[in-house]
Amino acid sequence: MDPLEVEFLAEKETVKIIPNFSLDKIYLIGGDLGPFNPGLPVDVPVWLALNLKQRQKCRIVPPEWMEVEKLEEIPFSMGLTKLLLTHASDNIPKADEIRTLVKDIWDTRIAKLRLSADSFIREQEAHAKLDNLTLMEINTIRTFLLDSLNCMYKLRSNLQQGSSKGQFSNY
Amino acid sequence: MPCERKPIRYAHAEGHTEVCFDEEGKFIVTCGSDGDVRIWESLDDDDPKFITVGDKAYSLALRNNKLVTATSNNTVQIHTFPDGDPDGILTRFTTNATHVTFNSTGSRLAAGSSDFMVKVIEVLDSSQQKTLRGHEAPVLGVTFDPKDEFVASSSCDGSVVVWNIEEQTQVVSWPLLQKTSDVSSAKSLCRLSWQPVMAKLLAVPVDTKVHLYERGSWDHVITLSDGLITKPINAVSWSPCGQFLAAGCVAGLLTVFDVTTKMCLERQKHEKGFSVCSLAWHPSGTQIVYSDTMGCLGLLDDLSFSNSTSKSTAKPPSKKPANDYDDLFDEDDDDRVMDEGLSDTKSPLKKHAAAEADEYDDDDFMPLTGRVKNRGAILDDDNSLDTGSLKFGQDKFGDKDDDDDDDGGSLVAAPSVPLVPLQPVYDGPLPTPPQKAFQPGSTPAHLAHRFLMWNSVGIVRGYNDEQDNAIDVEFHDTAVHHAMHLTNSLGHTIADLSQEAVLLACAGTDELASKLQCLHFSSWDTNKEWMVDLPKGEDAKAVCLGQGWAAVATSALVIRLFSIGGLQREIFSLSGPVVCMAGHGEQLLIVYHRGTGFDGNQSLGVQLLQLSQKKRQLINGEPLPLSLKSYLSWLGFTAEGTPCYVDSDGVVRMLNRLLGNTWTPVCNTRDTCKSKSDHYWVVGVHENPQQLRCIPCKGSRYPPTLPRPAVAILPFKLPLCQTATEKGQLEEQFLRSLLFHNHYSFLSSSGYEIDEEGQTNSQKEQQELLMKMFALSCKLEREFRSVELAEMMTQNVVTLAIRYASRSRRMALAQRLSEIALEKANQAQEDEPEEQEEEPERPSVRRPSGFSQTEVTERHYSNRYNQEEEEDQGEEVCEEDEVQEMETEETAGIRKRSNPFAKDSASLVTPSLTPVTKVGRANPFKLPGSGKPSPSSVQPRLTNILDNMTSGRKSTPQSGSAGKSNKIPVLKPLALKPKSKAQSTLLQMTGAASKKNQGNTEPAVDQQKQPEATPPASTTEENKRPKTGFQLWLEENRKNIMADQPDIQETDIIREAMGRFRTLSAEERLSWTERAKGQTGDAADVKKRKRATGGGEDVENEDVQTDSDQNGAKKKKSLDSSSKLSAFAFNKN
Repeated sequence: MDPLEVEFLAEKETVKIIPNFSLDKIYLIGGDLGPFNPGLPVDVPVWLALNLKQRQKCRIVPPEWMEVEKLEEIPFSMGLTKLLLTHASDNIPKADEIRTLVKDIWDTRIAKLRLSADSFIREQEAHAKLDNLTLMEINTIRTFLLDSLNCMYKLRSNLQQGSSKGQFSNY
Repeated sequence: MPCERKPIRYAHAEGHTEVCFDEEGKFIVTCGSDGDVRIWESLDDDDPKFITVGDKAYSLALRNNKLVTATSNNTVQIHTFPDGDPDGILTRFTTNATHVTFNSTGSRLAAGSSDFMVKVIEVLDSSQQKTLRGHEAPVLGVTFDPKDEFVASSSCDGSVVVWNIEEQTQVVSWPLLQKTSDVSSAKSLCRLSWQPVMAKLLAVPVDTKVHLYERGSWDHVITLSDGLITKPINAVSWSPCGQFLAAGCVAGLLTVFDVTTKMCLERQKHEKGFSVCSLAWHPSGTQIVYSDTMGCLGLLDDLSFSNSTSKSTAKPPSKKPANDYDDLFDEDDDDRVMDEGLSDTKSPLKKHAAAEADEYDDDDFMPLTGRVKNRGAILDDDNSLDTGSLKFGQDKFGDKDDDDDDDGGSLVAAPSVPLVPLQPVYDGPLPTPPQKAFQPGSTPAHLAHRFLMWNSVGIVRGYNDEQDNAIDVEFHDTAVHHAMHLTNSLGHTIADLSQEAVLLACAGTDELASKLQCLHFSSWDTNKEWMVDLPKGEDAKAVCLGQGWAAVATSALVIRLFSIGGLQREIFSLSGPVVCMAGHGEQLLIVYHRGTGFDGNQSLGVQLLQLSQKKRQLINGEPLPLSLKSYLSWLGFTAEGTPCYVDSDGVVRMLNRLLGNTWTPVCNTRDTCKSKSDHYWVVGVHENPQQLRCIPCKGSRYPPTLPRPAVAILPFKLPLCQTATEKGQLEEQFLRSLLFHNHYSFLSSSGYEIDEEGQTNSQKEQQELLMKMFALSCKLEREFRSVELAEMMTQNVVTLAIRYASRSRRMALAQRLSEIALEKANQAQEDEPEEQEEEPERPSVRRPSGFSQTEVTERHYSNRYNQEEEEDQGEEVCEEDEVQEMETEETAGIRKRSNPFAKDSASLVTPSLTPVTKVGRANPFKLPGSGKPSPSSVQPRLTNILDNMTSGRKSTPQSGSAGKSNKIPVLKPLALKPKSKAQSTLLQMTGAASKKNQGNTEPAVDQQKQPEATPPASTTEENKRPKTGFQLWLEENRKNIMADQPDIQETDIIREAMGRFRTLSAEERLSWTERAKGQTGDAADVKKRKRATGGGEDVENEDVQTDSDQNGAKKKKSLDSSSKLSAFAFNKN
């Protein structure tokens, strides 16, 4: 999965919007949405929220955790954050600060993840468990980690073969 | 007596501060080392008025609108209050004065100075001053004897001296304090104080104690102390009644002593422990304001002891009431004047005069004529000249009078008669300052960024800061109009917004008149704006917009109505200052002050006007009920047009047009608040769906403009008793449903289109609730209550109730109910005898499955089978119509079953079901065997009831068929008469029909369809029937028929239609039937099966048979019950 796919999945999350139009309930496969009353908050999936936002049909109410004070250390959704910050930064108070904070959190977490991957490899452990990773984080590190583990495995097994069986002697 | 310590606030720069109240207690006045005097309307006043009096202000005194300050330029100067214009210099010292104070009448001023001198100056003639020499160090504090004979002063030389003013000599001197060289190094400021009113005691703070010296003997009679006071006391202050003494000490402790008991009544620690350097009592004695050496200002509120003991004052209680009221009215006048910003310098004077006069009245010696004088005094200042400080004591009366006469020569002397210290300690209700005019949905005007209006249409925001003075208009629905940005060059402070226009208004200034500006954006011409100047001196106080009109209420107590295009349409007077207005459609709602409220309550009146073609007033200035000690915080209409308001206690009230325009509390927003300081700021009310739209505000009453507040929705809940119980809940729901669907009748009566479906649903809901309540009270063995409920039901539901009652073997109840049913039937028939025939369908249309509870449904269900079987046996002759009819019945049954509501009541049914099961299903009249006392005993009763009913019917032939009428409707067009009357429909059975059917157990047969045997007790089922194919066809072709035969009768139409329908080909008929089925939608399986069988009765019957076999017991039960029920409700024999 690449980040875009993760973002796509994040679009299924719901977010509160304040529509500036009036519409009855709409019935979709994913569930009923609405009714939309101008000025009244309503929960919709992010994809719809962004679409409406781009057409200037609504304002997005930032999720509760998306506040400078609350972004200390909490689980958050990178995909959602990025989406909202790119498309609806005008509806989010202190969007810049939040962007920085989220980036900070992201850096910290990725650094931590890299560190644990590093120690995992260094100590040649066979099994490790890591909780509370977000989808985006898993996808960020997966390709690289798996490939490199693969690579190292090959190198190691070659090394062992060579040392124990004297593989080169056959040639 | 717990008092409330308000949080301190920053008032001045760091350094010595001093504080006092003005005479009425309306303002807190402070001075500080920054050289400013600030005038605070309250502790929360964020924008106090300030007067710069010098580089530093050391002390201030305020009396008779003269503000005297001691400043760093060594002078004691006067400013007018509250305007702050310099009014001359009273005296000078060689160095700065340290303390200034007025005497009790305000005619003299004492000032102590750092140059060791105390001066006593006549305020009106500063050349007449007496200098008291003798201190050997800077003077700390001075105080006047209320009887004006003495002055006491304390000094850094350690002495406290009492001086005789006239002789300028020391009367007595006590060495009490530590000697220092300067005020700044003194341990204590030693601000001593003389007891007001009685003038008996002089209080001197001495280190950690307060010494009280008796006037005359100058003996040290009392020492007040408290263990908690560890640091020297800086200042003491007497309560206005002279009973209590407040002391503020260096470490920040505030204590209040009762002088008679020497007890410490109240201890409060300064929030930050700063040194309290000044404190003052509110004239009412309920508040103490204090300030500290760090420039902070604090307040102790709700000091409750003063009132309780105020009897000690010399007032004759018998005289109080009259005086009090005089006093109050006078004050009210004055307040209003202040409110309206007419700071006519004369009016305060007059007021004082009036107040004095009242005091005068107070005195025992005054004959009744005093009252006359008093009235005169309001208009004539001279009258007040002879009013004396009678409070001082009767023995002094004569002297005082003389004194005053001396003063009487000058006009100004009159108002300078004492007010604060003399204020009669009045322990009756106190007048409440009337709340100011406001726009519902706006935030306070003093904010730089505020909402001028937030309503269901949009938001008007005002910005008023250095960069910008602008107004933003934004619409919730951008389809109405795009957002607007206006520069606010006129300084509009009032706004309203509707779908058609924005209305703005600003107050007038000296040069400019108050203006009303309307941006009529929905106008189709190019001029989208008009503006109107109000007459000079008349200020807009509140505005509102309706549909096609605008209203403005002004300070001249008139309301001006404009058309939305700017025509002046009406003007009328209001009987009090407006509080706020709201408009909706053609309704105008006005709330105004109808009088003075007392003890924190407002006294508001409300007017509701209808501005339609025939203009009329629906509510004529009746009092507006508010919660105790609250004020109005929102006023408006629901989206459906019912007046509604919210008070500051968060109680939402709505007009109940059903109960003679009373106001019903429908919600308390405070119930949902988490913290005491949280509030909900209401922005809109909707009745359908029931929504209270408001903005949650944490820790405040109104939201800030940024971050943009989000709207939340609160449910309504009527504050009924015991809403934790099921009964209470149902009652609440029922009442709420009645209340919130009342707008339908109002709207239709005022000629608006209404949502028929919504109305039907609401009625259905109400009947459902009634039935639930009925079942509940049956369960609780409350038969009387059940009957009460039945009386509220529609006739159809009563028949259900009868069934329920009979099923649960409450025969007495059933009998009573049947009487009610009969009564209702008669009544309905009387109401609309003609309509019955024409609109037989109504009932069935109206209440489809509304009230079906499980039992009921089950019963219907079984009934259906019952009927079918009977038909099976009895008549093979049926035509297709019949089939259709049966189908409808079936579908109706199914519908009932699918009613979600059914589950709820399941529990109710169970007990009665068991006995029934054992009864064979064949005999509809057979009584349940087990569990019943004896079948025979029951049966007679049943028949009894039946007899009654039949006899009733016979006696009134028209109404005879009451219960059964529903059968007819099946054939008649459903949609034709959507507006037909409500419940009368039950009676449609015509006498003819019943006669024809006599002897038949299945009584209900349509006139046209005589051959068809309709099953007994099917009323309810039929009520719920969906349309048959024929009906659909009829709907479509009715017009054709009508066109062909314009004179045709309703019944004939159907007959004719029936004929035509039959001539259709089988396929066509089938297709209509299919369409009808399609409409019924989510029918249950059973029905589908039946439908599939369509035309063939046999198949259908078989199906039924099998079904019933499969379902066994259940059906039997239902069968039995149905027969029983039918016996009650419908059997004509």
